[in-house]
Amino acid sequence: MSVGCRCARTWGYVHVSGMLPVSPNPAATTPVIRFENVTKSYAGQSRAALDDVTVEVEKGEFVFLVGASGSGKSTFLRLVLREARPTHGKVYVAGKEINRLATWKVPGLRRQIGTVFQDFRLLPNKTVTENVAFALQVIGKPRSHINKVVPETLELVGLEGKGGRMPDELSGGEQQRVAIARAFVNRPMILIADEPTGNLDPNTSVGIMKLLDRINRTGTTVMMATHDAGIVDQMRKRVIELSSGHIVRDQSRGVYGYQH
Amino acid sequence: MQLTYVFSELGNGLRRNVSMTIAVIVTIFVSLTLVGMGLLLNAQATKAEQYWGSKLQITVFLCNENSTTANCVNGEATDDQKATIEKTLDSNNEVASWRLQSKQEAYDKWREAYVADDDTESRVYESIRPSDMQESYWVQLKDPEKFLGIKSAVQGLPGVNTVRDLREVLKPIYFWMNVMKWGAIGIAAFLVVAAILQVGNTIRLAAFARRREIGIMRLVGASSLYIQLPFLMESLVAALIGVGLASGALLVFMGVVIYGTLRPTSNIVAWVDWGDGLWAVGLIALLGLALTLIPTLVMTRKYLKV
Repeated sequence: MSVGCRCARTWGYVHVSGMLPVSPNPAATTPVIRFENVTKSYAGQSRAALDDVTVEVEKGEFVFLVGASGSGKSTFLRLVLREARPTHGKVYVAGKEINRLATWKVPGLRRQIGTVFQDFRLLPNKTVTENVAFALQVIGKPRSHINKVVPETLELVGLEGKGGRMPDELSGGEQQRVAIARAFVNRPMILIADEPTGNLDPNTSVGIMKLLDRINRTGTTVMMATHDAGIVDQMRKRVIELSSGHIVRDQSRGVYGYQH
Repeated sequence: MQLTYVFSELGNGLRRNVSMTIAVIVTIFVSLTLVGMGLLLNAQATKAEQYWGSKLQITVFLCNENSTTANCVNGEATDDQKATIEKTLDSNNEVASWRLQSKQEAYDKWREAYVADDDTESRVYESIRPSDMQESYWVQLKDPEKFLGIKSAVQGLPGVNTVRDLREVLKPIYFWMNVMKWGAIGIAAFLVVAAILQVGNTIRLAAFARRREIGIMRLVGASSLYIQLPFLMESLVAALIGVGLASGALLVFMGVVIYGTLRPTSNIVAWVDWGDGLWAVGLIALLGLALTLIPTLVMTRKYLKV
């Protein structure tokens, strides 16, 4: 995606990009996430959680996913993680169509995606270092590699010197930094953050957003679902707004409540 | 693959679920021991069948002076009657061969088998003469299972006192062996169901206790096998201990009861040997592994879906 197009602050971002089928630099515009007419309905529910959604996210982008509760944000993220499969349409993540991906290849896909949640999900009986190292141990990385990259990552997220602490000795913001370190320690292509600042006070949230921005600058695509209008307005990144399973806005350098 | 985590989790899991693990081990131990006993009884029944089957024959006792049955109203069987019986034996297709045992032969055999223990007995025995014995036809069958045709054909003939079939004698022994075998297998079947459910419950508790770790492992892309491995190892440890105890019990039974008591004192039948014992141990080992690992795989699949 060319920067020129992104700067235009146009409505209907998708349509504009669709008008530029020939890209001058194909490698730069390879989408890491692509939804093609994706519909997802859950059994026993009449209304689809996502309804005919088509969207692309390119490598290195920072995208906010906004919308009210029940608008389809979580379903969107679950589809990217292949925790759910689309009812109709195609979802491509890192170049692979996830509904045609064999079950045994799913772990391989997830190694390219880091995930951060509102509730941190740290292991309470392990130290900070062990929590981060766990993500590498369980995918079979050698100890020497782990011993090298875990301290590096802790330094990147601003937790140098705190590797020996237990999670309950840390503040909420620090715990979220540990979670981000764990998500990023394997250098994923995509970082998904589901309300990462939902449990944090505004000042701490700013710190976390700076960290996510720093990670984004290393080339990692960041997709963040949020309700925090202040953060979206400050960051001025791409905003995809969902409502009742439809994309009602897709805007580069957007704000949270543009439409309302 | 780095297995430190797997082994530390194995230790944690066994410690955390120690009472459940013991329950699984005990259930597996008892059910496998019963299955093993059933297998040994089955082997014993087959051995007995082979041993007696080769010797199974029908004996047709002829009337003598003292016979009291309806066919013997004319006393001693005549040569004509014998000729009819012989013709019947020759023409029956269940019969492989036959031979006539004379009174003297019968007397000699009887003297051999019955030894007088005291004076009274020896005086009674002395009074018995070869002429008191019965002549008899010893009929060898083609198939030891098929004897009813010849039995009924000969039974009603004049001059025939009784027809004895060794199988009738052995029937109760076979019956009780079968009852014991199926009893053991039936109880074992109930215990096997209990064992499977117990393994399932253990996995559910263990998966619940480990749900945070499992959630993170799935999220960061650990392979299903890696996630399942601690559960499989836990089940494997329980299975191996259970199989070990059951095998030990069977081998002790073989050593003490079969080789220690039955074989030296009783040779009415060929007893099961170490080969049969090892075969039973092998089968229960396989069964024990299947009993624990299959439910574990099914349950972990259910609870740990990627």
